[in-house]
Amino acid sequence: MIELYAITCHPAPPLPPVAPLSEVTADGLAAVCAPHVERDASPRTMWHHEAVVEALMEDRDILPVRYGTRLADESAVARVLDERREDLVEALERVRDAVELSVRVRDRSVDASDPLATVRGHEVHDRLSRLARASARRRGSVPREVVRGAYLVERDSVAPFVEEVARLDEAHDELSLLCTGPWPPYTFVER
Amino acid sequence: MRDKLLHAPPDLDTFAGDLPRIDDVLSRRVNADPENVQRGLAQLVLTIVELLRQLMERQALRRIDGGTLSEEEVERLGRTFMELDTRMEELREQFGLDEEDLNLHLGPLGSLL
Repeated sequence: MIELYAITCHPAPPLPPVAPLSEVTADGLAAVCAPHVERDASPRTMWHHEAVVEALMEDRDILPVRYGTRLADESAVARVLDERREDLVEALERVRDAVELSVRVRDRSVDASDPLATVRGHEVHDRLSRLARASARRRGSVPREVVRGAYLVERDSVAPFVEEVARLDEAHDELSLLCTGPWPPYTFVER
Repeated sequence: MRDKLLHAPPDLDTFAGDLPRIDDVLSRRVNADPENVQRGLAQLVLTIVELLRQLMERQALRRIDGGTLSEEEVERLGRTFMELDTRMEELREQFGLDEEDLNLHLGPLGSLL
Protein backbone atom coordinates (compact mmCIF):
# COMPACT_ATOMS: atom_id res chain seq x y z
CA MET A 1 0.00 0.00 0.00
CA ILE A 2 1.09 3.50 -0.84
CA GLU A 3 0.26 6.58 1.22
CA LEU A 4 -0.27 9.83 -0.69
CA TYR A 5 0.80 13.26 0.45
CA ALA A 6 0.45 15.65 -2.43
CA ILE A 7 0.22 16.16 -6.17
CA THR A 8 2.77 18.45 -7.76
CA CYS A 9 4.11 19.41 -11.15
CA HIS A 10 6.99 17.47 -12.55
CA PRO A 11 9.87 18.10 -12.74
CA ALA A 12 10.20 19.65 -9.30
CA PRO A 13 12.93 20.28 -6.71
CA PRO A 14 14.37 17.23 -4.95
CA LEU A 15 12.07 15.79 -2.29
CA PRO A 16 12.70 17.04 1.26
CA PRO A 17 14.30 14.52 3.64
CA VAL A 18 11.39 14.51 6.10
CA ALA A 19 10.20 10.98 5.40
CA PRO A 20 10.97 8.10 3.03
CA LEU A 21 9.26 9.88 0.13
CA SER A 22 9.13 8.90 -3.50
CA GLU A 23 7.45 10.28 -6.60
CA VAL A 24 5.20 8.58 -9.09
CA THR A 25 5.35 10.66 -12.22
CA ALA A 26 3.14 10.80 -15.28
CA ASP A 27 3.79 13.36 -17.96
CA GLY A 28 4.18 16.64 -16.11
CA LEU A 29 2.50 15.56 -12.90
CA ALA A 30 3.92 13.84 -9.85
CA ALA A 31 2.31 12.19 -6.83
CA VAL A 32 4.44 12.34 -3.71
CA CYS A 33 4.07 9.15 -1.71
CA ALA A 34 5.56 6.87 0.90
CA PRO A 35 5.08 3.23 1.80
CA HIS A 36 2.03 2.92 4.06
CA VAL A 37 2.93 2.12 7.65
CA GLU A 38 0.34 0.59 9.94
CA ARG A 39 -0.21 2.95 12.86
CA ASP A 40 -3.02 4.36 14.97
CA ALA A 41 -4.38 7.69 13.84
CA SER A 42 -3.59 10.35 16.40
CA PRO A 43 -2.82 14.07 16.56
CA ARG A 44 0.84 13.11 16.24
CA THR A 45 0.40 11.16 13.00
CA MET A 46 -1.77 13.91 11.56
CA TRP A 47 0.87 16.49 12.40
CA HIS A 48 3.48 14.26 10.77
CA HIS A 49 1.42 14.11 7.60
CA GLU A 50 0.97 17.87 7.75
CA ALA A 51 4.72 18.38 8.31
CA VAL A 52 5.49 16.41 5.16
CA VAL A 53 2.91 18.36 3.14
CA GLU A 54 4.22 21.67 4.45
CA ALA A 55 7.84 20.75 3.75
CA LEU A 56 6.77 20.14 0.16
CA MET A 57 4.89 23.42 0.12
CA GLU A 58 8.10 25.28 1.01
CA ASP A 59 9.54 25.11 -2.46
CA ARG A 60 6.82 23.98 -4.88
CA ASP A 61 3.12 24.31 -5.63
CA ILE A 62 1.10 21.40 -4.30
CA LEU A 63 -2.36 19.95 -4.15
CA PRO A 64 -2.44 18.55 -0.61
CA VAL A 65 -3.95 15.12 -0.24
CA ARG A 66 -6.13 14.18 2.68
CA TYR A 67 -4.54 12.28 5.53
CA GLY A 68 -5.09 8.56 5.20
CA THR A 69 -5.42 8.44 1.43
CA ARG A 70 -3.81 5.34 0.09
CA LEU A 71 -3.69 3.30 -3.07
CA ALA A 72 -2.68 -0.26 -3.82
CA ASP A 73 0.58 0.41 -5.63
CA GLU A 74 2.49 2.74 -7.92
CA SER A 75 0.59 1.79 -11.05
CA ALA A 76 -2.68 2.64 -9.30
CA VAL A 77 -1.23 6.05 -8.48
CA ALA A 78 -0.10 6.56 -12.08
CA ARG A 79 -3.57 5.61 -13.27
CA VAL A 80 -5.16 8.26 -11.07
CA LEU A 81 -2.76 10.90 -12.42
CA ASP A 82 -3.72 9.96 -15.99
CA GLU A 83 -7.45 9.78 -15.37
CA ARG A 84 -7.61 13.04 -13.43
CA ARG A 85 -4.97 14.89 -15.44
CA GLU A 86 -7.16 17.76 -16.61
CA ASP A 87 -8.60 18.47 -13.15
CA LEU A 88 -5.20 18.21 -11.49
CA VAL A 89 -3.44 20.49 -13.95
CA GLU A 90 -6.23 23.04 -13.61
CA ALA A 91 -6.11 22.85 -9.83
CA LEU A 92 -2.31 23.27 -9.76
CA GLU A 93 -2.65 26.34 -11.93
CA ARG A 94 -5.31 27.69 -9.59
CA VAL A 95 -3.03 27.44 -6.55
CA ARG A 96 0.21 28.43 -8.27
CA ASP A 97 2.45 30.48 -5.98
CA ALA A 98 -0.28 30.78 -3.40
CA VAL A 99 -0.99 29.55 0.12
CA GLU A 100 -4.10 29.33 2.24
CA LEU A 101 -4.72 31.65 5.15
CA SER A 102 -7.52 31.20 7.62
CA VAL A 103 -9.38 34.04 9.29
CA ARG A 104 -12.01 33.82 12.00
CA VAL A 105 -13.86 36.90 13.14
CA ARG A 106 -15.80 37.22 16.32
CA ASP A 107 -18.23 40.04 17.03
CA ARG A 108 -18.53 40.47 20.75
CA SER A 109 -21.14 43.17 20.69
CA VAL A 110 -24.09 41.35 19.25
CA ASP A 111 -25.62 37.98 18.53
CA ALA A 112 -24.20 36.38 15.39
CA SER A 113 -27.74 36.15 14.05
CA ASP A 114 -28.10 39.91 14.36
CA PRO A 115 -28.18 41.49 10.88
CA LEU A 116 -25.69 44.16 11.93
CA ALA A 117 -23.12 41.55 12.86
CA THR A 118 -23.75 39.77 9.59
CA VAL A 119 -23.09 42.96 7.64
CA ARG A 120 -19.89 43.67 9.56
CA GLY A 121 -18.69 40.12 8.97
CA HIS A 122 -19.51 40.42 5.32
CA GLU A 123 -17.53 43.65 5.02
CA VAL A 124 -14.48 42.09 6.63
CA HIS A 125 -14.66 39.05 4.38
CA ASP A 126 -15.11 41.30 1.38
CA ARG A 127 -12.05 43.42 2.19
CA LEU A 128 -9.89 40.38 2.75
CA SER A 129 -11.16 38.66 -0.38
CA ARG A 130 -9.86 41.57 -2.43
CA LEU A 131 -6.34 40.77 -1.24
CA ALA A 132 -6.73 37.12 -2.20
CA ARG A 133 -6.94 35.22 -5.45
CA ALA A 134 -9.89 33.28 -4.14
CA SER A 135 -11.82 32.96 -0.93
CA ALA A 136 -14.38 30.73 0.71
CA ARG A 137 -16.61 31.09 3.73
CA ARG A 138 -17.70 28.28 5.89
CA ARG A 139 -20.57 28.00 8.29
CA GLY A 140 -19.26 28.03 11.83
CA SER A 141 -21.16 27.15 14.92
CA VAL A 142 -19.26 29.08 17.57
CA PRO A 143 -21.34 31.76 19.26
CA ARG A 144 -20.62 35.28 17.98
CA GLU A 145 -18.42 34.02 15.14
CA VAL A 146 -19.35 36.08 12.08
CA VAL A 147 -16.66 34.97 9.65
CA ARG A 148 -14.90 31.65 9.18
CA GLY A 149 -12.98 32.24 5.97
CA ALA A 150 -10.25 30.65 3.91
CA TYR A 151 -8.22 32.85 1.58
CA LEU A 152 -5.95 31.80 -1.28
CA VAL A 153 -3.20 34.39 -1.06
CA GLU A 154 -0.13 34.75 -3.25
CA ARG A 155 2.99 34.00 -1.27
CA ASP A 156 4.30 37.53 -1.79
CA SER A 157 1.02 39.01 -0.61
CA VAL A 158 0.84 37.22 2.75
CA ALA A 159 2.44 40.09 4.68
CA PRO A 160 0.09 42.81 3.37
CA PHE A 161 -2.86 40.45 3.96
CA VAL A 162 -1.86 39.95 7.60
CA GLU A 163 -1.37 43.71 7.95
CA GLU A 164 -4.91 44.22 6.73
CA VAL A 165 -6.19 41.70 9.29
CA ALA A 166 -4.33 43.59 12.01
CA ARG A 167 -5.68 46.89 10.74
CA LEU A 168 -9.27 45.61 10.72
CA ASP A 169 -8.83 44.20 14.22
CA GLU A 170 -7.56 47.55 15.40
CA ALA A 171 -10.20 49.60 13.58
CA HIS A 172 -13.22 47.70 14.90
CA ASP A 173 -13.51 47.64 18.68
CA GLU A 174 -16.29 45.14 18.66
CA LEU A 175 -14.47 42.67 16.40
CA SER A 176 -11.72 40.19 17.18
CA LEU A 177 -9.82 38.69 14.25
CA LEU A 178 -7.70 35.56 14.34
CA CYS A 179 -5.50 34.67 11.38
CA THR A 180 -3.54 31.45 11.00
CA GLY A 181 -1.40 30.01 8.22
CA PRO A 182 0.10 29.57 5.81
CA TRP A 183 -1.66 26.27 5.21
CA PRO A 184 -1.51 24.06 2.17
CA PRO A 185 -4.46 25.04 -0.06
CA TYR A 186 -6.84 22.25 1.04
CA THR A 187 -9.88 24.47 0.54
CA PHE A 188 -9.00 25.41 -3.03
CA VAL A 189 -8.12 22.04 -4.47
CA GLU A 190 -11.60 21.87 -5.95
CA ARG A 191 -13.38 24.66 -7.74
CA MET B 1 3.67 25.75 15.46
CA ARG B 2 3.93 29.25 16.86
CA ASP B 3 4.65 30.79 13.49
CA LYS B 4 1.24 29.70 12.20
CA LEU B 5 -0.36 32.33 14.38
CA LEU B 6 -0.14 35.24 11.96
CA HIS B 7 -2.41 37.55 13.90
CA ALA B 8 -4.06 36.96 17.24
CA PRO B 9 -6.42 39.37 18.92
CA PRO B 10 -5.76 40.40 22.55
CA ASP B 11 -8.69 38.19 23.56
CA LEU B 12 -7.59 35.00 21.82
CA ASP B 13 -9.31 32.95 24.49
CA THR B 14 -12.73 34.17 23.34
CA PHE B 15 -12.37 32.03 20.24
CA ALA B 16 -12.67 29.00 22.43
CA GLY B 17 -16.39 29.56 22.88
CA ASP B 18 -18.51 30.23 25.93
CA LEU B 19 -15.83 30.14 28.56
CA PRO B 20 -14.82 32.35 31.39
CA ARG B 21 -11.63 34.06 30.37
CA ILE B 22 -8.83 31.55 30.81
CA ASP B 23 -6.49 34.04 32.35
CA ASP B 24 -9.02 34.88 35.08
CA VAL B 25 -9.38 31.20 35.84
CA LEU B 26 -5.64 30.70 35.95
CA SER B 27 -5.11 33.66 38.24
CA ARG B 28 -7.60 32.10 40.66
CA ARG B 29 -5.85 28.76 40.66
CA VAL B 30 -2.21 29.37 40.01
CA ASN B 31 -1.45 32.08 42.53
CA ALA B 32 2.29 31.95 42.35
CA ASP B 33 2.57 32.75 38.67
CA PRO B 34 2.87 36.24 37.32
CA GLU B 35 -0.07 37.31 35.17
CA ASN B 36 1.79 37.35 31.90
CA VAL B 37 2.95 33.75 32.37
CA GLN B 38 -0.68 32.68 32.87
CA ARG B 39 -1.75 34.52 29.78
CA GLY B 40 1.17 33.02 27.88
CA LEU B 41 0.10 29.54 28.95
CA ALA B 42 -3.50 30.16 28.00
CA GLN B 43 -2.39 31.44 24.64
CA LEU B 44 -0.20 28.43 24.08
CA VAL B 45 -2.90 25.94 25.00
CA LEU B 46 -5.46 27.66 22.84
CA THR B 47 -3.05 28.01 19.99
CA ILE B 48 -2.45 24.28 20.01
CA VAL B 49 -6.16 23.50 20.07
CA GLU B 50 -6.92 26.07 17.38
CA LEU B 51 -4.23 24.70 15.11
CA LEU B 52 -5.37 21.14 15.59
CA ARG B 53 -8.88 22.20 14.73
CA GLN B 54 -7.69 23.96 11.59
CA LEU B 55 -5.73 20.90 10.65
CA MET B 56 -8.72 18.63 11.01
CA GLU B 57 -10.99 21.01 9.13
CA ARG B 58 -8.60 21.21 6.25
CA GLN B 59 -8.02 17.50 6.04
CA ALA B 60 -11.74 16.79 6.08
CA LEU B 61 -11.94 17.27 2.34
CA ARG B 62 -12.18 15.15 -0.71
CA ARG B 63 -9.70 12.45 -1.43
CA ILE B 64 -8.48 11.07 -4.71
CA ASP B 65 -10.68 8.36 -6.13
CA GLY B 66 -9.45 4.89 -5.60
CA GLY B 67 -8.30 5.32 -2.03
CA THR B 68 -10.45 4.25 0.86
CA LEU B 69 -10.14 4.06 4.59
CA SER B 70 -11.33 0.84 6.12
CA GLU B 71 -13.91 0.97 8.89
CA GLU B 72 -11.18 0.17 11.34
CA GLU B 73 -9.13 3.09 10.14
CA VAL B 74 -12.08 5.45 10.38
CA GLU B 75 -12.61 4.33 13.93
CA ARG B 76 -8.98 4.90 14.75
CA LEU B 77 -9.13 8.36 13.26
CA GLY B 78 -12.11 9.05 15.48
CA ARG B 79 -10.04 8.18 18.52
CA THR B 80 -7.92 11.25 17.82
CA PHE B 81 -10.08 13.20 20.18
CA MET B 82 -9.61 10.75 22.95
CA GLU B 83 -5.87 11.20 22.70
CA LEU B 84 -6.23 14.94 22.68
CA ASP B 85 -8.45 14.61 25.72
CA THR B 86 -5.72 12.68 27.54
CA ARG B 87 -3.13 15.36 26.78
CA MET B 88 -5.49 18.09 27.96
CA GLU B 89 -6.15 16.16 31.16
CA GLU B 90 -2.44 16.00 31.87
CA LEU B 91 -2.18 19.73 31.35
CA ARG B 92 -5.16 20.36 33.60
CA GLU B 93 -3.76 18.25 36.41
CA GLN B 94 -0.42 19.93 36.10
CA PHE B 95 -1.90 23.40 36.43
CA GLY B 96 -4.71 22.63 38.82
CA LEU B 97 -7.63 23.38 36.50
CA ASP B 98 -11.12 21.92 36.47
CA GLU B 99 -12.54 20.16 33.48
CA GLU B 100 -15.01 23.02 33.14
CA ASP B 101 -12.19 25.53 32.98
CA LEU B 102 -10.98 24.00 29.76
CA ASN B 103 -14.16 22.70 28.23
CA LEU B 104 -13.64 24.02 24.76
CA HIS B 105 -16.27 23.73 22.10
CA LEU B 106 -14.88 22.69 18.77
CA GLY B 107 -17.84 23.19 16.45
CA PRO B 108 -18.86 20.09 14.49
CA LEU B 109 -16.24 18.07 16.33
CA GLY B 110 -18.20 18.49 19.55
CA SER B 111 -16.85 19.43 22.92
CA LEU B 112 -13.29 18.78 23.85
CA LEU B 113 -14.23 17.23 27.14
